[in-house]
Amino acid sequence: MPTLLEVSGVTVSFDGFRAINNLSIQFPPTGLRAIIGPNGAGKTTFMDIVTGKTKPDEGHVIWGEENVSLLGLSESDIATRGIGRKFQKPTVFEAQTVRQNLAMALKNPRSPFAVLTHRKTAENAAKIEAIAEEIGLTDSLTRIAGELSHGQKQWLEIGMLLAQDPRLLLVDEPAAGMTVEEREKTTDILRRAAETRSVVVVEHDMEFVRRLDCKVTVLHEGSVLAEGSLDHVTSDQTVIDVYLGRGHA
Amino acid sequence: MRILLSAFVFMFCAMAASAQDLQSLLQDNADDIAKPSRNSIGVVLDQMVATGLPQVPAFLEQWSDKNVWQDDITGTFFMATEADDTLTLTDIDTGAETTVPSDGFTQLKPNGGVRRVIGTALVQFQLIDPDTTRRAAALESIARRPEASQLAPLMASLEGETDPALLARKQNLITILSARFAEDPADRIAAIEALAEETSVETRAVLNQILATKPGVATDLPDANIAAQHDPMTGPDGYYAALVAADLATPLTTPDDIRAAMEANIIDGRVGGVPTAQLDTDAARARAYATLAAAGTVPPLVGIPERDNALNTHVFFDTYTEDDPAITTAARNALDQVETAVALAQTVDLGLDALSLASIYFLAAIGLAITFGVMGVINMAHGEFIMMGAYTGYVIQLFVPDYTIAIIIALPTAFAITFAAGVTMERLVIRHLYHRPLETLLATFGISIALQQLAKNIFGTQARPLTSPAWLDGAWIISDVIQISYIRIAIFIMALFFLALILFILKRTRLGLEVRAVTQNPGMAASMGINPDRINMLTFGLGSGIAGIAGVAIGLYAKVTSEMGADYIVQSFMTVVVGGVGNVWGTLAGASLIGGLQKGIEWFNPSNTLAAQTYMILFIILFIQFRPKGIVALKGRAAAD
Amino acid sequence: MQNSFIARNPSVLWFLAALGLFTFGVTILSEATGLGLISTSFVKTLGKTLCLCLIAIAMDVVWGYCGILSLGHFAFFGIGGYAIGMWLMYARTETIVLESLAGQNIPATPQEISDAIGNQIFGVVGSSDFPAIWAFADSLVLQLAMVVLMPGLLALVFGWLAFRSRVTGVYLSILTQAMTLALSLYLFQNDSGLRGNNGLSGLQNIPGFEATPQATISIIFFLASAFALGAGYLFFAWVISGKMGSVVQGIRDNEARVRFLGYQVESYKLFIFTITAIVSGIAGALYYPQAGIINPGEIAPIASIYLAVWVAIGGRGRLYGAVIGAAFVSLLSSWFTGGGAPNVNLGFYTIQWTDWWLVLLGLSFVVVTLYFPKGIGGLFDYLVRKPS
Repeated sequence: MPTLLEVSGVTVSFDGFRAINNLSIQFPPTGLRAIIGPNGAGKTTFMDIVTGKTKPDEGHVIWGEENVSLLGLSESDIATRGIGRKFQKPTVFEAQTVRQNLAMALKNPRSPFAVLTHRKTAENAAKIEAIAEEIGLTDSLTRIAGELSHGQKQWLEIGMLLAQDPRLLLVDEPAAGMTVEEREKTTDILRRAAETRSVVVVEHDMEFVRRLDCKVTVLHEGSVLAEGSLDHVTSDQTVIDVYLGRGHA
Repeated sequence: MRILLSAFVFMFCAMAASAQDLQSLLQDNADDIAKPSRNSIGVVLDQMVATGLPQVPAFLEQWSDKNVWQDDITGTFFMATEADDTLTLTDIDTGAETTVPSDGFTQLKPNGGVRRVIGTALVQFQLIDPDTTRRAAALESIARRPEASQLAPLMASLEGETDPALLARKQNLITILSARFAEDPADRIAAIEALAEETSVETRAVLNQILATKPGVATDLPDANIAAQHDPMTGPDGYYAALVAADLATPLTTPDDIRAAMEANIIDGRVGGVPTAQLDTDAARARAYATLAAAGTVPPLVGIPERDNALNTHVFFDTYTEDDPAITTAARNALDQVETAVALAQTVDLGLDALSLASIYFLAAIGLAITFGVMGVINMAHGEFIMMGAYTGYVIQLFVPDYTIAIIIALPTAFAITFAAGVTMERLVIRHLYHRPLETLLATFGISIALQQLAKNIFGTQARPLTSPAWLDGAWIISDVIQISYIRIAIFIMALFFLALILFILKRTRLGLEVRAVTQNPGMAASMGINPDRINMLTFGLGSGIAGIAGVAIGLYAKVTSEMGADYIVQSFMTVVVGGVGNVWGTLAGASLIGGLQKGIEWFNPSNTLAAQTYMILFIILFIQFRPKGIVALKGRAAAD
Repeated sequence: MQNSFIARNPSVLWFLAALGLFTFGVTILSEATGLGLISTSFVKTLGKTLCLCLIAIAMDVVWGYCGILSLGHFAFFGIGGYAIGMWLMYARTETIVLESLAGQNIPATPQEISDAIGNQIFGVVGSSDFPAIWAFADSLVLQLAMVVLMPGLLALVFGWLAFRSRVTGVYLSILTQAMTLALSLYLFQNDSGLRGNNGLSGLQNIPGFEATPQATISIIFFLASAFALGAGYLFFAWVISGKMGSVVQGIRDNEARVRFLGYQVESYKLFIFTITAIVSGIAGALYYPQAGIINPGEIAPIASIYLAVWVAIGGRGRLYGAVIGAAFVSLLSSWFTGGGAPNVNLGFYTIQWTDWWLVLLGLSFVVVTLYFPKGIGGLFDYLVRKPS
């Protein structure tokens, strides 16, 4: 199976503390993947490394068919190459309308001059409508994003990621603070997105991970502890010891 | 020469006092004594000194002080004091006193030149005077005006010198005098080499005197002790001026000369055949001038080619006033050695200066660093807290006359006042603006301009003094080059004290623990039962309080004005930014870097402190490029914004 | 396209209409038309105020929209002033020198003229040679280009250095303040080539218009300032509307998010920083011929902070707010400090506004920041919303 993103032997430490320790992990071009692990397992740092926010001390991050190294590229560069990221806290532009939020994310030339002379086109409007439909915010397009509910903000952010049309979607705790119905809808959105691209969900919540029904990677102290189906990893004794055991205790 | 010889005679004969009395010697030379001239007096003085009579120095002093009178009839000389037309006469040899009316006596008034010669003769007596202060005074007078004649008596006085300090000074002066005046070149070279060991201003002056040069110009290099030869093309105009001054060339024809020549020779609207209207270019004027010169109306043009030609046919050089090349070489080597030592000492001095500047910046910035580090708040009014501290000191000095006590009261009072001001400001303003750092910056700026104007309204615009106690006056002088004022030392110690105090508070106390907890993770700290509100308030108070104390310290050596805070605020910001936020050591490193840098740049370009500050800021802007988080940067999640 | 832009931004139309009316009114009432109800000196004050409004808009775009609290835009304003001042001073001195040389029976050479001008201009700092930066001073066109190029280049270089090393927030503010301080300290030096603390003076005399009365000149500059303000308003309104405005405000609200959307945040900041610097330079070039003199004190960091104060009081994030703030505070400030405000006698103490105005301004600024973060412009929201 071809690999979209390959992380190998990555190590990063802050003031002597090894947040990521010789981590190796691969992702295929399509499909859903969940990454779980206790607090401090390095989940967020892992995303920081892939998206260019944190530079690792050693290791490689290789992207796409052309095997481009992502290390040393800027965040915006990495984003335009097709990696989208959703933050743990919903981060949308609260002062602007839903439509403006989506329009900003839409895959279009990103240079200041192109943006300055940008004109609205029917094609773009159609894309925005389609995404709004997908995330269920069609009626809210003219609303100010700050007025949306917590769940709607989460969806808007996922919608912005979809508008970017990335090949890899990194999603940090999408279900946090959501009601049961909202979770279901979120699961659907992510599943559908995973049909055409690789979606990586970092989650805390076992219930939500079970709902996603996908391959699971368990991180612990900055490296992969186990990998496989959720049933497989939850029956792994070491996983129970470090994570589930503590979680149930 | 004469004095030199007589001094030796004096040395050997002093003990075996001659039977001859001084009065008869004076009578033998009565005319020279009564009407002395600088040229003739030497012989008489030599004779007097040669007698070895103990009364000679006293007589010479009185003579020099115009206290010697001559009996108009007998011609006898007396030392005398005049009071109300009467004279108290003292016999020169016996010391017997008589009082007479001043009629019939004439006061001897030797002129300045003569008195100087007498003074020189006196030095040898003063050098062996039992009174140490007089010996010291004599040595200083030699040091002020070194003369060849002083060398022998100085050497003679070494023996019997009991005071070790004076002995050392005598030896030192002997070396200096020998270097310049000793007979034997070998002695001079030895003395010069001895001088190379010292760095005093005096030593350097002596060596520079030996190495004094005078410029010269000639067609060929003369046979003299040449110090340097110059390439005239390095500064052609200056060298040509020297040529002109030496009557070896005619001055350049300047544009003004040409213009004057044009104006003086307008004939029918033309100059040398060129219409005046066309004379608005140098080329046209040159043509007109050439025509005039060819006709002999004006002197031939001396232009750049003529100048260069003249310069190339002459040599320009400096000759030493000292003829012996061996001596100048020795002096040059000695001076090089001295200057190396002086440069080293200057570096040390610069280091001390930088250190003291760094302590001031540290004191000014540490409060800012604490509030910025813990609360992420930039307090633009920090400079005004410094000012408040300084004014507190000033007001206390108005009521407490003893400056020592005043300072002791001022320090805690300034802390208390600015602490209270800081806490008030935190409660009323800053607390409402957390997470809006830019607005905090502007709101505190509003407070800053209000406080500044308020101080102006209360204390006026003129600078107020904050006087340091007498025991802080003066400086610790390590050598002629290295010295540091006591105030700066006190400020340095104060900076050290606060460094230790803040480290102690942060690392060893409950408050410090809580402060660190809030800095690293406010949410977590709150859940652990730490009240971040209280911590923020105390931190802000502490930071402001230290600013108040810094104000007292800064006020002691700078003027207290309403704008003094503004003078330090930018440097304080720089210190914090360069050092790295939220770290005491970072602030220390930042203060050292900025203090050192500023002094360093000033050293390269001492005349221009404005330029020094400009370059320093440019450096900081560049520095931020490479270490955006400062020298001591926090890493990891705590650093993420 | 322009129509729909105006249609989408009715406030732009309102503003331009108000500005037009104001300009028309002042022109009619000025001494230039003979009515003379507004004195020439007050026309100059109003013209200067319009220039301050223009730089306030630029400040609002860079701070209110892009979130960069620049404490250096007044430096760009000053650079613009110096750039035009160099030509004004050179050209006027040249006129004077040529007149004085005309009477001589030998015409002067170009070198003599240049020396005489240099002597006139740099005599106060003990020099007579033209520094390299005056190379283009004899050309109005080149100096006008300098008005745009110098602030633009400085902003570009400084911004590039600062933004690429991700200096943000208060750090950036302090860095811009440092830049301003460095510039003003540099200009204070006698060997800076710009007459040290004497600055450039006599700028109100426009070369070639010696015969024109100041009343006419003042109204021409007033009109030019009004036009520049209108054009600047239109330009910035266009820049911040549409997608550019979205991205720029996104950067203000969450820089990281914009970056992860694939935008090069640094380029956008640099773009905004540079164009606002250029507009500031243009505003300065219009301001100082009306002020008559420019010296390094004008560039001191405090001026840039006052600029931020105006924008904050007027209301950030709306262009007309910046205009209101700049006009209101600067006019009020000159009324108070100029002794226009009556003293308040409290019986035991008389408040002299020349002494207490800064205290009042400082404290009111704190109050505005604390309780009216939207500034005076926020009142419009209140008025607009109340009926609905």
